[in-house]
Amino acid sequence: MSSEADESVTFSLTVDGAAHEVTAPWSESLLTVLRERLGVRGPKTGCAHGRCGACAVRVAFEPDRADDDGHVLCSCLLPAATAAGCSVRTIASIGGPDGELSDVQEAFLAEGAVQCGICTAGFVTAATELLDTDPDPTREQIEAALYGNLCRCTGYGRIVAAVETAARTRREATP
Amino acid sequence: MRRPDGQAKVRGEFSYAGDLHAEGMLHGVTLRSPHPHARLLRIDTAAARALPGVHAVLTAADVPGDLHFGLTLRDEPVLADGVVRYAGEPVAVVAAIDPRTARRAARAIVVEYEPLPAQTDPTLAADAEPLHAEGNVYRHLAYECGDPRARGVVTVENTYRIGMQDPAFLAPEAGMATPTADGGVRLEVATQWLHSDQRQIAWATGLPPEKVQVVLAGVGGAFGGREDVTLHTHACLLALATGRPVKMEYTREESFLAHRQRHPGTIWLRHSADASGRVVSVEGRVVLDGGAYASTSPVVIANTVTLLQGPYRVDNGRFEGWSVRTNNPSCGAMRGFGVPQAAFAHESQMDALAAALDLDPLEIRLRNALRRGDTATFGQRFTQPTPVREVIEGLRAVPLPPAGGKLPGGVGRASSPGSVRRGVGYAVTMKNLAFSEGHVDESTATVSLRDGHATVHCACAEVGQGFVTVAEQVARTVLGADTVTVTQPDTLIASAGSTSASRQTMASGTAVHRACVAVRDRLLARVARERGLDAGLLSIQDGAVTCDGTPLVDVAAATPGHTVRATEHFAHPPTTALGQGDVYVGFAFSAQRAVVDVDVELGLVSVVQIASCQDVGTVVNPTQLLGQIEGGIVQGMGLAVMEEVVVVDGHITNPEFQDYLIPTIVDAPEVVSVYVTDPQPGMPHGWKGVGEPPLCTAVPAVAAAVRDATGLPLPSVPIRPEHIALGIGTPPTVTRTTPRPPATTGGTALSEEPADRPGTWESEGAAGH
Repeated sequence: MSSEADESVTFSLTVDGAAHEVTAPWSESLLTVLRERLGVRGPKTGCAHGRCGACAVRVAFEPDRADDDGHVLCSCLLPAATAAGCSVRTIASIGGPDGELSDVQEAFLAEGAVQCGICTAGFVTAATELLDTDPDPTREQIEAALYGNLCRCTGYGRIVAAVETAARTRREATP
Repeated sequence: MRRPDGQAKVRGEFSYAGDLHAEGMLHGVTLRSPHPHARLLRIDTAAARALPGVHAVLTAADVPGDLHFGLTLRDEPVLADGVVRYAGEPVAVVAAIDPRTARRAARAIVVEYEPLPAQTDPTLAADAEPLHAEGNVYRHLAYECGDPRARGVVTVENTYRIGMQDPAFLAPEAGMATPTADGGVRLEVATQWLHSDQRQIAWATGLPPEKVQVVLAGVGGAFGGREDVTLHTHACLLALATGRPVKMEYTREESFLAHRQRHPGTIWLRHSADASGRVVSVEGRVVLDGGAYASTSPVVIANTVTLLQGPYRVDNGRFEGWSVRTNNPSCGAMRGFGVPQAAFAHESQMDALAAALDLDPLEIRLRNALRRGDTATFGQRFTQPTPVREVIEGLRAVPLPPAGGKLPGGVGRASSPGSVRRGVGYAVTMKNLAFSEGHVDESTATVSLRDGHATVHCACAEVGQGFVTVAEQVARTVLGADTVTVTQPDTLIASAGSTSASRQTMASGTAVHRACVAVRDRLLARVARERGLDAGLLSIQDGAVTCDGTPLVDVAAATPGHTVRATEHFAHPPTTALGQGDVYVGFAFSAQRAVVDVDVELGLVSVVQIASCQDVGTVVNPTQLLGQIEGGIVQGMGLAVMEEVVVVDGHITNPEFQDYLIPTIVDAPEVVSVYVTDPQPGMPHGWKGVGEPPLCTAVPAVAAAVRDATGLPLPSVPIRPEHIALGIGTPPTVTRTTPRPPATTGGTALSEEPADRPGTWESEGAAGH
């Protein structure tokens, strides 16, 4: 039994700076391509319906344009083939190669915003985009940026504290 | 101290069960029953087996060992045996080269069902046609203390309902089983209780337990929902049948169908009080819907029934409850384990009494607060710290938040300010800690120290709560270790019990502490021997061995190249069956105040702030403690106003996060958390469990605040928008009664025979029998 959804297509995709040629059924989600075909396991499968944000990645659809810094989206909802030619940044693009933490990662750790951690990559990805866009967000802006990410462990208090701490750190580091 | 696994988690490098991968592994999927109750007339797997890429298709007939498993009664088949008893029950499992092929094969299995009437009303279950050879009542219990017929001047009664809550841990169930060279199997899995899994897998595979090795894979949350076996046995059976590693990973929808939920319940309570608000008697009756298979239903019902008294002194009462079998989803452990249900009911009653007597809600609670030395309705004396008054006073000292803030209606702020009313509500609860009723609560740890590096081995499952932090903190503190490794838990060491019941800091933390103390004493004895010193003068301070306070040598350099190792066991003093003595290991007390804004037109609730004062023994790690308080509170508010697994005719209608609403960052309240520290006897540093009380208390606190804002009785949780907008729900019956002093005092008497039948809720007369 085959259907159109099963028809494979080949396309190029840049993930965390590395170029890949991917052949996959056109309907296969970006999350599945990342995790199962490319072995990129930072984005997690929480619901596969775009409701939890554990799979969040930052996608630049026009990576050649200087002003396309990418937007955070649920990789489980995006057919990977529609991301052909895109640049995808996962949690692996945040922080340094030798274990250095970004200001957001550092703040999540310091403030106790991590328990089981399955949501953490998604939260760090979304919070990073927020602070890249707005270095001094209000509580309401933090909530608006992160309400697509679910956390079942922390009750969110430490996550809000972490974003506020990271914002403060970033403002203090940028004269 | 930071979480030792935190660096990998914030970098997205921590490996979870869903990330497991092995060369040549197969993928397992499960075929589930679409019917809540049906006879299996025929299963034909030939077409599925014939598909290319399919390596195994297993049904009940292929289970080599004992077909049945379960945490209490062994009443649940590994794969359906002639009959299915809930919608979602596993009927067959498939292993194939990839998930797509495996799913295709599962669809190719032909199953003929003869649908049977589904028994979905728990109040009728006890008298209905048995759904199972083990009957429909998992457990009935009933007892009295003092004179239940004693009355004060006012008597209030009502029937309360609590909905089904899903643990909704964010990483769906996953694991990978691999055949081992000795003919056994090794399972890496996200679980709460490795040795319980091992035992149940051994039953089904027919292997001796030592040939079933269970290793913890990274766990993405648990909250009770991973205490039971789900895919564990299936993955092992498929690996043994194919000779290849087999990975299984549930979808979110499957996760809703497969794991156990919090028991929905109906609780009738009647409280009578004197003019000062002192409770004279309490009568209560509970029916919990256990669903299709027992899981922990016989244990959960005892928690609900015995803790109906709340953190208050009750000398006269009668209490009864049933947990029953239906064709609804199976229920079992979830954070709070029967107590949130009781807490919602007894706290609603305390507010009803306060209103009837025109008393302040905190004042009536203070007047009834348990004290150390009091005796529980179930006969146990409170011999440990019982700081009920202290948590109430501590809560009262927290100032109220200012008016204003975010409007109800989520991120859209759908409310209009003119229809928003603020409400304030209070709740105080008592939660039992650790295993109960004679179930041995124990753990074992091995600690080794070499050149300042400590290694901790314990079967305690880290599920996110931070046991790894506690273990490292203890090793650093006691041993002065520079670095600590907490090894991945497995079944090569003795059982640590389940990561549940707020118990692992007490049980495994204490086992680690004892092992560290033993290692320290051996190290100091060796140093003393080598240097000709009196070991009694040696200690470890700030990473150095000191003699009479003077540093001698760094721990890392004290015995170069030599490993000091110790294994120690810890068990709480034994508990007993109900009515025979101490049923519980200990208790924790918690008080909360919820402030809510309610749009009374739309029925929308915004929880503005929850202030909490909790009895925590001692503060072990302030950050992790606050994480438990905040996380528990938000799960509790979820049960109060958002979360409900909706079951219609035995089918879950909302098994996805788009319809099952867990709180988001917009819904979460500000939390103000203060503590009462009264060290728990017998525990290192006086620590005690903290994880469950915040949830238990948040449910009634939020409900009370919504009542205060709306003036509505709201006897059911979750409170739905229509309950508020349409004023749905029966208020308590308040009767002015003629005082009747107790004719007898003291004693707890069990009764074997049911005093009542379940299902007579509406026919109670307030004045009593």
